Amino acid sequence: MPPRRHDDIMDVDSEGSDASLDYDGPRRKGKGKAPKKKDKGKSKVTEAPYAWEASYVRSWDTVQEDESGSLQTAVDDLIARGRRKRLLAPSKAIRRTIIRHLIIILDLSNSMTDRDMRPTRFDLTLEYTREFVNEWFDQNPLGQIGMVGMRAGVGERVGEMSGNPPDVLRAISERHKLEPTGDPSLQNAIEMAKSTMSHLPTHSSREILIIFGSLTTCDPGNIHETLESCIRDKIRISVVALAAEMKICRELCEKTGGQFGVAMNEGHFKDLLFELIPPPAQQTTSSALTARLASGAPANAPGNAGGDLMLMGFPTRLPDTSPPSLCVCHSELKSQGFLCPRCSAKVCDIPTDCDVCGLMIVSSPHLARSYHHLFPVKTYRAVMTTEETANSSPKCHACARMFQSPAPSGPGRKASTAGKADGSTSTTNGNSESNSIDGREGAAIDTGADGISALGRYRCTDCSNDFCADCDVFIHDVLHCCPGCER
Amino acid sequence: MDRSSHLSVILDLCPTQWSLSAKPSNPHPLPFDTFLSHLLVFLNSHIAYKHENSLAVFGALPGKSVLFYSSEEAGDLSTAEVVQSDPNSYRFFKTLDQSLVQRISREFDILGQPDTEEPPALVGALTKAICYINRLLHPAQTLSSPEDSANLPEPRILILSVSPDASNSYIPIMNSIFSAQKLKITLDVCKIFGPDSVFLQQAAYLTGGSYIYLEHREALLQYLIMSFLPTPSIRKIITIPTEDKTDFRAACFCHKHIVDVGYVCSVCLSIFCQPVPVCSTCRTKFPMKTLQRLNMTRTPSQPSTPRPTNGTPTRQVFSGLAANLR
Repeated sequence: MPPRRHDDIMDVDSEGSDASLDYDGPRRKGKGKAPKKKDKGKSKVTEAPYAWEASYVRSWDTVQEDESGSLQTAVDDLIARGRRKRLLAPSKAIRRTIIRHLIIILDLSNSMTDRDMRPTRFDLTLEYTREFVNEWFDQNPLGQIGMVGMRAGVGERVGEMSGNPPDVLRAISERHKLEPTGDPSLQNAIEMAKSTMSHLPTHSSREILIIFGSLTTCDPGNIHETLESCIRDKIRISVVALAAEMKICRELCEKTGGQFGVAMNEGHFKDLLFELIPPPAQQTTSSALTARLASGAPANAPGNAGGDLMLMGFPTRLPDTSPPSLCVCHSELKSQGFLCPRCSAKVCDIPTDCDVCGLMIVSSPHLARSYHHLFPVKTYRAVMTTEETANSSPKCHACARMFQSPAPSGPGRKASTAGKADGSTSTTNGNSESNSIDGREGAAIDTGADGISALGRYRCTDCSNDFCADCDVFIHDVLHCCPGCER
Repeated sequence: MDRSSHLSVILDLCPTQWSLSAKPSNPHPLPFDTFLSHLLVFLNSHIAYKHENSLAVFGALPGKSVLFYSSEEAGDLSTAEVVQSDPNSYRFFKTLDQSLVQRISREFDILGQPDTEEPPALVGALTKAICYINRLLHPAQTLSSPEDSANLPEPRILILSVSPDASNSYIPIMNSIFSAQKLKITLDVCKIFGPDSVFLQQAAYLTGGSYIYLEHREALLQYLIMSFLPTPSIRKIITIPTEDKTDFRAACFCHKHIVDVGYVCSVCLSIFCQPVPVCSTCRTKFPMKTLQRLNMTRTPSQPSTPRPTNGTPTRQVFSGLAANLR
């Protein structure tokens, strides 16, 4: 049966961005919001429940040669689209969980020795976990991570809960101690993770990330009871499966508000993991929903869940030239360190909990590192028409790169997009400045919602400066500060 | 150690501060033209240091930031302004000196004499400098092979600051510092005039650069050449003066006291020196139980050293947040 789609190049492209996603089921959260096309209903008649029932997509059709027969422009275009897609996530301020606690459950069962991911699932998992931990602490400086392994039918504590990245990394640094063997037990591991987090205060999030390579689980009791108790304790479980989807894994994620994904290849595995790094929006509405699912467990204070005062200590830093003394954490003789303001114990690294009095010790830069989650940079609007570029600078406002000149617009599709955008954007331009956000949404929907500017210009709606595609991504991903607005 | 180095210089061009700096009543007056001539010698010696070295000069003018000069546009002769050829000087020095002086004076002319002066756009210049370096470090995807990455320049930013901290730039400056850390950019700060800048002290400390407060301003060139000309890899061998007393304690939002033990709102991370029932920034109500517990454990004598400035945001920074999080 020939695939049901149009021959329009434009459509093939946007279909292409769906293509890679159809494997792991159409219900994947977060990916489902790819392009909102008007004819979506036609190409997929109903949401197909299985991957093999979904319409067949030829991924090689998404790559089009340009006039000179080269694939480079098509490849660049795909890369730009992929990077841009992440930015289209909502950028308005939402309340996020800043203090996070995460237990990573690693599958250390026999199935991890499979070589379908290079070099082995196990080695790849360790490598990505290391990168994940580094990046996670970079974005969640006040969080803590613990490690639990699933091996030989039991849960095994691999690393204690810690807010210090080297400590966490040390737990998984010795490969030979983690050698995979036996069957995994989801229930044992989750119970262990749950008990580790049971003492945590309510304003912090409790999360479990399971990297699961097996297709079986060998549990001592009813895992659904464990699931119920996790819902009750507001523990959010996310699973990254390396083999295939399991019903219980999906259920764990869906009922606790986590994310579920099956890794198709090495790159996708990494993407799935790294999607879990930004702090989640605080569950004010969904906590009520999960409470209802948990058969009548009372939802406590739905409007204001999580707000709390925390006691924190701001330590005095000892300069490198101070006389050496022993630290309480490693009992090593060092001159540099930080003094706990409450008990004057000396610790090596912050942020941490004081080993003597238990006070949470942070410094003001650690708090500042979280601010960008609270003040995100507004999404830039893709500039579509040449009229708009008339009085703006020929260079990127941030990196001073020259924009490409609009004249040689080769493929007809770019011209058509620009033409299509013409009507909507010119009308919105007529409106007052304050309406610019609405104008942006209108334009974005009209141009296929992937927000790619044919001119390579992305304009800040506040300061009306243009930025190149690379700076757009860099500003939103790393810098978190618009060079034009200075905010 | 053979890597070339990229230097981005950020000039703080705040007219008021420079006129104050030039006053003869100062113990060590430094007028702007003297500063400029010192600076040009330093910039020339940076390009002369190694052939591949690159340079970009950004200016933080009141209310706007400008790229004055970059090596790549100088290499491209078509865009460079017409430079009088002088057989007695090296062409790159000449291009740099002339275009930099011309553009600075042009910007000052545009500036005119406004009644009220906006604070210099240090954040804009800093973020532009970081974006520029980001472009240098990630040229094109086709080039990113391992041997190419070894040829990428070693980046650093030198901030020549004269104006005091603007409290509302705390968050963007911290964000810039963290992205500089990620890109492994060293931030050096030379405080030429005015009070110590806590934000820039933190910037230098967190990125492994050095913060130098200029006491003898007429010796600017010597400071520049001795401390800021060596690249970060060479600095491991020679000793560069560093600031070792950077204080990272925080000030509370309610009284601006420096606190040792503070109470922090879990939603917006505002800092208070005593337990409060409602967060003044995001209007979160705190549970009664916590307040009672915290009041119990609270030590009777709160250390409240009346030190006015330190590296935490003021309340006005957060004023926009209240609406967002409610």
